[in-house]
Amino acid sequence: MDSTIHQDIRVGQMIQGPSVPVTKEMIREFAEASCDFNALHLDERFMDRSFGKTKFDKVIAHGMMTFSLMTRMMTDWLWPRGKIHRRLETRWLKPVYPGDTITCGATVTKQMKTLKGNWILFSLEVKNQKGELVATGESMAESPD
Amino acid sequence: MEEFITDSFEKDFWKDWEKRKTWDEIQPGEIRPSFEVTLTKEMIQRFARSIGDLNPLYFDEEVAKKSPFGGLISPPSIHVLLMMVCTPHEDWMKEPGTINAGQSWYYNVPARPGDRIRLVCKALDKFMRKDRLFVIHENVFYNQNGEVICSGRGWTIRPR
Repeated sequence: MDSTIHQDIRVGQMIQGPSVPVTKEMIREFAEASCDFNALHLDERFMDRSFGKTKFDKVIAHGMMTFSLMTRMMTDWLWPRGKIHRRLETRWLKPVYPGDTITCGATVTKQMKTLKGNWILFSLEVKNQKGELVATGESMAESPD
Repeated sequence: MEEFITDSFEKDFWKDWEKRKTWDEIQPGEIRPSFEVTLTKEMIQRFARSIGDLNPLYFDEEVAKKSPFGGLISPPSIHVLLMMVCTPHEDWMKEPGTINAGQSWYYNVPARPGDRIRLVCKALDKFMRKDRLFVIHENVFYNQNGEVICSGRGWTIRPR
């Protein structure tokens, strides 16, 4: 590990991502835009069932909506700095319901040099308005310089 | 090549849902049917707007032309939409109650408006954990030049 690859980026540096109030309308719009019409996100009548042992109280936001917001945080931060968004891995810990406000954040965890590349590693968190973690993730970016 | 038209997309995922493969029927390693779709500027911009992402690289041709990308691109997460439009209605990913447990994606070149997108996808593994039925799927999106746009893996919990 070489922590001085990028003078302008340091391990421990934090990135503040978007804070987004989630509404039923937003979920519906995301369903239309992503063509994901899974009833979990749209049909209140469907939610008193359980899904292979998992039960939700009401309709939930798409996990991939949270994924896309995490991506937006990374591209907003990386692209103006001339870095390339290379990878995102996520895990969903809690459902996101309409009425929640979710906030994304990231921390630089490492800078690595490979034979041909310069890399920056991040750890990501998404929390709801109660401060509960709803998703975590890891991300990698490549620097052309 | 199929021109994707939002209005013709079957939004009722309940329709013929019983014809979709169950956990027992999903065969790891078997290629899932998919088709080529032309990605349009409208699809990209609608997707970006839905997550409040108004980056000029998706909307402003002049700004995008002067950027290192040399033209309009899509958000990396456009594969969320591409997964749905490149697979048929019968695909088991569209089964109501499919739960997303986690995803990992690696990005190579950006997808651009006008790209003809091809998807190669399959279930890779299936298992039981905590009384739940899991399937891991893996997916690679290519453009018309055979370049990899992105490749990714997802963990889903099956409803049946």
